[in-house]
Amino acid sequence: MTTAHEWQDFAAPYALGALAPEERSAFEAHLAGCEACRAEVRAFTEVAGLLAYGAPAVEPPAGLRDRVLAEARRVRPIAAPRRPATGAWLAAAAALVLAIGAAITAWRMAGRVRILERQVAADDSSKAATDSALAMLTGAQVNVVTLAGTGRPPSARVFWNRARGRFVVFAFDLPQAPAGRGYQLWAIAKGQAPMSMGTFNTDAAGRATVVLPVGRDIAALGFVDNCALTEEPAGGSPQPTETPRLLGAWLHTD
Amino acid sequence: MEVVSVTLIPRSVMATMSDAPVPDQRLVGRMAEGEDIALGELYDRYGRTLYALAMAIVREPADAEEVVVDAFGQAWRQASAFDPRRGSVGAWLATIARSRALDMVRARGRRARAYERAAQLSDDGIATPIAGLGPDPGRGAERSEARRLVAQALATLPEPQRVAIELAYFEGLSQSEIAERLAEPLGTIKTRMRTGMEKLRGLLSPLLEGTA
Repeated sequence: MTTAHEWQDFAAPYALGALAPEERSAFEAHLAGCEACRAEVRAFTEVAGLLAYGAPAVEPPAGLRDRVLAEARRVRPIAAPRRPATGAWLAAAAALVLAIGAAITAWRMAGRVRILERQVAADDSSKAATDSALAMLTGAQVNVVTLAGTGRPPSARVFWNRARGRFVVFAFDLPQAPAGRGYQLWAIAKGQAPMSMGTFNTDAAGRATVVLPVGRDIAALGFVDNCALTEEPAGGSPQPTETPRLLGAWLHTD
Repeated sequence: MEVVSVTLIPRSVMATMSDAPVPDQRLVGRMAEGEDIALGELYDRYGRTLYALAMAIVREPADAEEVVVDAFGQAWRQASAFDPRRGSVGAWLATIARSRALDMVRARGRRARAYERAAQLSDDGIATPIAGLGPDPGRGAERSEARRLVAQALATLPEPQRVAIELAYFEGLSQSEIAERLAEPLGTIKTRMRTGMEKLRGLLSPLLEGTA
């Protein structure tokens, strides 16, 4: 017979993974019904976790962060059971595929695919541009797709293709601007007045997929810090007339 | 690279992002939603520590790198299964990384490793002196403080207790394997490990707030 007190002695070695297999199974069976021991295990697991800080300090290789992120972009997180995420995600992915398809047809610009492919390649250097459009989305565009969920705050993602001098804009959950008005994007370099990147409007579903040419002033600058979105009269304003509705900092990957 | 990107979000959301550091738990929640930015942030907080942990176990930079990529990959995939009631994000990540590292060592072959180790063993049976860490050039005062406190706490422990704990944690040995390795009675090892862990729990209480 093992008394309750004796069981508590198992918590520390259990947290260190140092129990013999049969001891571990017996203790786990006990844990199922003993909150006191579960609390002990929690506490000692935290202590064991801190032992990681006791490892001699070594500098990780410079590319490790990128490898971690590239690996994550290849797979999406397993959905929490409470959310019907797979269906919603597939619907969102399908919608995005349609949006991209529509954009391509409408503008008859086959180059668009290349822009997206470059983005994929840039985002996911290891497994660049895989076979199908869907595979592309599961790889690099997970973020975009995830941001498209309903009931979320409005968001937009802008890609700057420097080689082609184009901004590619995806907007989500951004209510359509009323007649005679539209959305205007601004490039902001520190210490300078905002420069217009162009205007667009979203559809009734609050979405937009737009390609905007990069203006000469912005291209000449070559580097901007922030990006903002305001609602303006259709056709745009010389300078923003309201506080930005959306804001973001450019991610410089080069 | 020829393409750069920006994600635009409402100011209100941005304000909550920049005002205070996002708690680890929120980051894991955002990972479960597929936000790789949150994973990057978590890497910035724990990458160094997990890499050091992996190196202490697997010893080879290429293997340690593999372990860290695998560990964060597992955390990313299983983010939605993270349960804060069972412990902190840091402990969760350390558990994942340690177990991936030990798996790798086992896969490499325990036997080959035993020989390799035998050559390095000092008198007390532990391969790596853990205490007395060098200066830490790293960013993040909080993490440096954690490292300092943990090093100090381990140095405070009587040597036999520290050895028992380190052999279990960094080498994945069970209590009976440790007893065998050190040629000590099993009961003695059990006592040392438990007493040492209880001491550490007390010494590290400043880092254990809200979880102990």
